[in-house]
Amino acid sequence: MSEFPKRILSSLMVMGAQSPDRAMSIDELAGKLGMARSAVELELKSLIDAGYAKLVDESGTSAVYLTATGIITASSTYS
Amino acid sequence: MRIFMLSWEYPPRVIGGLARHAEGLSKAMASLGHEVHVVTLDFPGAPYEEAEFPLYVHRVAVELPAPTFHTWVLLFNHFFEKRVGQLAKKYGPPDIVHVHDWLTASAGVASKHLMRVPLVMTFHSTESSRSSSFRTPESAMVGGLEWWGSYEAAKVIAVSGWMKSEVVSQFKLPPSKVVEIPNAVDMVKFEKSVDVATTRMKWRVQPGEKLITAVGRLTSQKGFDDLIRALAIVRKSVPGAKLLVMGDGYMRGELEALANGEGVAERTTFAGFVSDDDLVDAIKSSDMVAVPSHFEPFGIIALEAMAAGVPVVVSRVGGLAEIIEDEVDGLEVDPNSPYSIAKATTRLLSDQALASRLAARAREKVKSYNWKRSATETLEVYEAAVGEARYE
Repeated sequence: MSEFPKRILSSLMVMGAQSPDRAMSIDELAGKLGMARSAVELELKSLIDAGYAKLVDESGTSAVYLTATGIITASSTYS
Repeated sequence: MRIFMLSWEYPPRVIGGLARHAEGLSKAMASLGHEVHVVTLDFPGAPYEEAEFPLYVHRVAVELPAPTFHTWVLLFNHFFEKRVGQLAKKYGPPDIVHVHDWLTASAGVASKHLMRVPLVMTFHSTESSRSSSFRTPESAMVGGLEWWGSYEAAKVIAVSGWMKSEVVSQFKLPPSKVVEIPNAVDMVKFEKSVDVATTRMKWRVQPGEKLITAVGRLTSQKGFDDLIRALAIVRKSVPGAKLLVMGDGYMRGELEALANGEGVAERTTFAGFVSDDDLVDAIKSSDMVAVPSHFEPFGIIALEAMAAGVPVVVSRVGGLAEIIEDEVDGLEVDPNSPYSIAKATTRLLSDQALASRLAARAREKVKSYNWKRSATETLEVYEAAVGEARYE
């Protein structure tokens, strides 16, 4: 089992990518995390498959944002 | 009174029990005629402003990016402060600012000094109990904010006797400053009639099978790993036992893998986050609810099961051990022990008379845990805070 991509999930929330209009491009996300785009895409796939994140495609540049479930999961350390 | 209630979660943003608490308390205080302004974080689909006099909900967007979760919390506190200032100008200053846990402590302290109004802080948990020790700089910061909030508050509320002992000893507070006010449950929610057969079919429970439900964030604190291991033991005596886990979190993949490894994947359903209606339906359709937490300052889910008339198996920890009287209105088990959980679960699923007796007693007991009572006691704390607040 691969490790849960907690860092990407949390980063999307704290950087504000919480709705389609505030989606963050994968290149920008990779840059902020200091990760290769391919590695980010791989981890994003598991988040998208689990329903935590969604992709939007604006002008051919993929961008990503958290779903409501993703926001709650990203916050789930505390309550 | 005019009350500003600062909570990072409020429905539909429900991370855990804190949202239920903020909602139940705010609505009950509003029903008693008090003007309550909840300041909380925004959430997809939720309006930024809700007004149903005298209850207002103001949702705040965090307009700047943060590099980490903990700096993001400090950042959203800044936006809370800004909203509090706007609300004070529009509605007038509050009589009380009430914050919940470290998550809104800094906004509460700033609001207290800027408006010179008393601060009340409720502890639902502490960092030291969550993480055992302050192992990281972030954890130490959270602990510091907890201390700071408890120091600045005129009064502190703890959701259980166990929580009160924790904050008194950890933050060196005078015991008289800390008031225990338990969480509560909305009994009306659990009075709805439920099509049990349809609900059980929805969660793949066949006639004759037994349904164990567990609800909560999928974090190590909740002990769902122990429950899955327990299920592997229980099924040897109760072959029809099935587990429904409602909630989500970082451990989901790990727990799914564990269920697979224990040979109970086919008998375990991970439902993720569900609606309130689905939650009530599932609890009311269950044979028992398990709360196997490693630690639990309160454990609202136990009250919800009790309100639903469903017997509970709970860990003998924190607030859970205060709610449940072992063998009287539920069964207590050792925390971190799949064998203890399995033993109690097997007993409950195999002995209908025991299950009915425990559930009936629990349903009577839970009636005293109502939000009107919690609100009345909280309002008494506010009155005391008004008399004791200092602004040096």
